[in-house]
Amino acid sequence: MAKKILAALLIVAVVCGAAFAAGKKRTITFATDATWPPMEFMDAKKQITGFSIDYMTAAAKEAGFDAKFQATAWDGIFGGLEAGQYDAVCSSVSITEERKKTMAFSEPYYQVKQAVVVPKGKKIKALKDLAGKDVGSQISTTGTFAVQEEKSVKSKTYDDVGLAFEDLYNGRIAAVVCDDVVASQYALRTPKYSGKFVIGLVIQSKTAEYYGIAVKKDNAEVLALVNKGIAAVKKKGIDKKLQQKWMGGKK
Amino acid sequence: MKENQKTVIDVGDGAAIPTRKDRDLFTAWRIAFVGALFALVGLVSFNPEVYWEGLKYLSDGVLITFQVTLASILCALIIGLFVGLGRVSRIRVIALAASTYVEVIRGIPLLVQLFYIYYALGQFVKIPPLPSAIIAMSICYGAYMGEIFRAGIESIDKGQTEASLSLGMNRSETMIYVVLPQALRTILPPVGNEFIALLKDSSLVSIIAVADILRRAREFSSTSFYVFETYTLVAVVYLLITLILSKIVGVMEERLGQHERR
Repeated sequence: MAKKILAALLIVAVVCGAAFAAGKKRTITFATDATWPPMEFMDAKKQITGFSIDYMTAAAKEAGFDAKFQATAWDGIFGGLEAGQYDAVCSSVSITEERKKTMAFSEPYYQVKQAVVVPKGKKIKALKDLAGKDVGSQISTTGTFAVQEEKSVKSKTYDDVGLAFEDLYNGRIAAVVCDDVVASQYALRTPKYSGKFVIGLVIQSKTAEYYGIAVKKDNAEVLALVNKGIAAVKKKGIDKKLQQKWMGGKK
Repeated sequence: MKENQKTVIDVGDGAAIPTRKDRDLFTAWRIAFVGALFALVGLVSFNPEVYWEGLKYLSDGVLITFQVTLASILCALIIGLFVGLGRVSRIRVIALAASTYVEVIRGIPLLVQLFYIYYALGQFVKIPPLPSAIIAMSICYGAYMGEIFRAGIESIDKGQTEASLSLGMNRSETMIYVVLPQALRTILPPVGNEFIALLKDSSLVSIIAVADILRRAREFSSTSFYVFETYTLVAVVYLLITLILSKIVGVMEERLGQHERR
């Protein structure tokens, strides 16, 4: 009962708020785990930055809302969304069928593939080639899902993808699976790792994998605003410019 | 003969046997030396700029860790005092409530409590990360402190209470003026231990995105890709803070124990 009254009050508040604040911008808070360069990470001034952040900021400008980014740990990022700590998650979240059961997704804004990083000199054609070996990934990412799908390898999960790479560097695991943009950062652009790792394989999945903005299941208002922004960004070709800026000439 | 006498007097004046205070100082310096050596080896064998950059990046995380630790210590001490008093209370309801609190909180890992207060409770009351962290840590450590306080109070001889009651003090006066001051001396070493445990456990709050040392380290290692160096730095920073804390506790013990040295 109390919940119903609360909901009614909330609706009244929203309607009144909308009436009062005609012309005043809606602020949407995005949670982001800023440990996933170049998509979203902390720069030297401790500001959240990256491709996704620029993308959503541009989208916000196009659709006429204010985007606020809130640093959140990946563990529990969806729990926080469910609990209403923030309006949306903008943290390289891949759109999957499982996730769609508990949350709603915006239009996709970036296509991603799962890359398998292995020590240099090691050649693999499929994950199956690593049968019986440990393969690392960041916990509850699509990388982990890809590893777990291949039953012959042992899945090992880490809190941060960087820790998985460190274990690969120390020779404790045979490979790391993560999003291709992150993989190329680690494998090619890090002085410590470059020359030691290569991207051995990009997993060809049956369905293409996309990043989307996750919102609470019945939050149509935020979803509509975000989608409007994404559509405008794509139409104006801002996304191409951002890709140039953050990933270089790649793709 | 005269010269000999002088020598004897000189030896007697000098501090040949180190006092307890001196030995404490030695220990602290030894550990600090090991810490410094640790840092130095890291600096020499790896890229010093990475450490420097990392330290600059971590600096505000150190401040947050301090904030969380100190605020939690204060709250936990207050909670602990009341829980300890509650445990020895003669009123059944209070004693039962206090022991239930201790049993429940002590049985749940701090990490789970953090998740619970931030995410589960977040459905009803929105508490920002930093206060959530302080609340969770205070509640958790309040239970441990409560047990220490209880043990301290119970360690004071019954005769003390009986004597002060027969002097005409009432129960609360007895507790405040006679039992607690004496118990404090017994309590201090384990409380100091809890301080240090709390400081280190505060690294758990990084899981709810409080920008403490560990959280900053994760961010730094993810952008710089220097994982090993970052965590070496974290270890050294924690070690140094712990040393400072244990020194403070040591000084407090020294002060309180002064008249009671055996």
